[in-house]
Amino acid sequence: MTAKDRWIIWLFLGPSLFLLGLFLYWPLVGTVIDSFYDTSFISPEPRFAGLAVYERVFAGRHFGDVFWNSISWTLGVVILQNILGFFAATLLNQGLPLQGLTRALVLMPFVLPGVVTGLLWRFMYDPQLGLINSLMILFGVVDDSAAWLADPDTAMAAVIFVAVWKGFPFSMLIYLAALQNVDRSQLEAATLDGAGAWRRLIDVTLPAIRDVVLVNIVLTLILTFNYFDIVWVMTRGGPQHATHIFPTQIYETGFGQFRFGEAATYGVVSIMVLAVLVALYVIVQLGANRRRRTA
Amino acid sequence: MKKSLFTLISASAISLAGAVSAQDVTLQFWDNQQTESGLSQFQQEAIDRFMAENPDIAVEVTTIPYPEYQQRLLTAVQGGNAPDIATLDQIWVAAFAEAGAVADLTDKASASGLSRDQFFGGAWDSAVVDGALHGVPFNVDVWQFSFYNADLFTAAGVDPASISTFEGLRAAAEALTGDGQFGVGLFGHRGEDTVVVVNSFIFSNGGAVLAEDGSCALNAAPAVEAMAYLQDLAKFAPDGILNASSGTMRELFLNGSLAIEFWPALEQPTLQASDINWGFVNGTAPQGKTPVGTFGGWNLAIFESSEHQDAAWRFIEFMVREDVNGDVVDLIPANKTAAEAFLAENRQGPEEIMTHLSNANPRPLSPRYLEVADIQMTLYQDVFSGADVQAAADEACSSIDALN
Repeated sequence: MTAKDRWIIWLFLGPSLFLLGLFLYWPLVGTVIDSFYDTSFISPEPRFAGLAVYERVFAGRHFGDVFWNSISWTLGVVILQNILGFFAATLLNQGLPLQGLTRALVLMPFVLPGVVTGLLWRFMYDPQLGLINSLMILFGVVDDSAAWLADPDTAMAAVIFVAVWKGFPFSMLIYLAALQNVDRSQLEAATLDGAGAWRRLIDVTLPAIRDVVLVNIVLTLILTFNYFDIVWVMTRGGPQHATHIFPTQIYETGFGQFRFGEAATYGVVSIMVLAVLVALYVIVQLGANRRRRTA
Repeated sequence: MKKSLFTLISASAISLAGAVSAQDVTLQFWDNQQTESGLSQFQQEAIDRFMAENPDIAVEVTTIPYPEYQQRLLTAVQGGNAPDIATLDQIWVAAFAEAGAVADLTDKASASGLSRDQFFGGAWDSAVVDGALHGVPFNVDVWQFSFYNADLFTAAGVDPASISTFEGLRAAAEALTGDGQFGVGLFGHRGEDTVVVVNSFIFSNGGAVLAEDGSCALNAAPAVEAMAYLQDLAKFAPDGILNASSGTMRELFLNGSLAIEFWPALEQPTLQASDINWGFVNGTAPQGKTPVGTFGGWNLAIFESSEHQDAAWRFIEFMVREDVNGDVVDLIPANKTAAEAFLAENRQGPEEIMTHLSNANPRPLSPRYLEVADIQMTLYQDVFSGADVQAAADEACSSIDALN
């Protein structure tokens, strides 16, 4: 590479890097700085508090709830969304009739805005007027209506279910594209060797799409951890903080109560978790690239 | 010809200068839009009238939807772009005053003859921070009136007047619950409507959220008793209380499956448009005590940064005048004379409403109100979940007292 080539590379990269720095990394640095200051509406002048804000947040009644809720929310959605997405992709890869129509119908939840999805399901879960309780009572699953979103024991599961419903088509699309690229001759050879559907899946299909599975899981981890609208619309983090996750807590602390220092502290913890996930994504990508080069 | 041309130019210049000086002050007025009541048309007519009466002042109105209003105001204040005048929710006034964002209007009110007795006392008090007036009450309402379904009461043989006492409300709720029907529309989601309704039961039982010295009073006996009462009453409410709002209860009330719902007087137009045979009583208190509601409403404030303090004050004086106030609000005018006329024309039971408004308390006048309310929401959710009320109140109070 000549010096001129290097200049051209920087010429093309420069504007993007500048904009990234201005609109992404500078606010990120600003958030970290804010997390060391006490700033609220009644004290608009930031007062340096150092780690005192972190101490207050970590010792607060809700930090543990928010942390563990975020973990269970993220893992629950990612695991179920990927299993369901893979299952749906496998079905759609079988060449069933009306495949185009089926794909379009399956994609519907994914294209709905999160707020609309939240409102729709909030109404469906309603203990008195909702469809879910009516159907469950009709089919004898339960005797009495349940308040899914109002019970701290069921609210998180109810919200996870909706996020999976909305998100699985995303995973399905990626898996479907990967499944369609699996070498048919290998599958046919395995069939000739007497491998059943399960063995073909384990020994041929999954190794062939391993990189896609890993990337898909890490991507959905990042997207799910950052999710906001469905949870906020359905429960606003309640009942009793049972569904508060980092994004909803940051929003409520910052824009509901104007405690910007504490909101920034939650933000920094959130960034640290995301940094680990992004590092995981990079490692997965590098591994995939290495395998491709050596294949 | 030259002379006439000169005269024409001079006249034009003079008239242009006159036009400029006619409106040499332009006030920026921000208001929030809570309902689709068509109020803006009446408000614009009133503002036109103000400008006709005050030709040296122009007013530009910016209406912002309620959900983003607080954030927009805050951003404007912090960015140095605050309007001259804005409506402020009663619960924001102390914080805006503490931040030095809104002007002290004590002297102006005194000079103009505006005083507490012209307004509902609780509404006036909501604008007083550390003894200084930082806003003028603009509109008000009170949580809560107990709206009842008269047909369900008749069928159950319950006297609607009985629900004005703690004992009567519980007995009525029990009698009216069953077969897919619910006695009382209690709700407990994380929202301000939950806070004000529980507050009103606490106030009616002689309790308070904050004591006069600013310390938490939620763990004192009157508040704990009231919360324990509501905890027991919750068994006659629809399932899902922790995720239910006043809006959820309205749906059930309108479809005839809920006997009593708690709302301010602004619910009346909705009920008037429905098929429900309804009536209302003024809140609920223990036998022998008067129900005390919780005030909601908005105050007009002048921002400290305004360069037109006097013109802004003239605008406020105009907006709360008894012949204007009723035309420019979608709740109830804060001016008592205007309120009487407004209620007589627009609401059922105007005298009862006036009584309840006169007995209502404002929410805590704390600059940390939003944080106090957040702790209250957590407490009330704990109470509705069946927690030990005294222990939950003690924990809430330790959090509230730690704010100071």
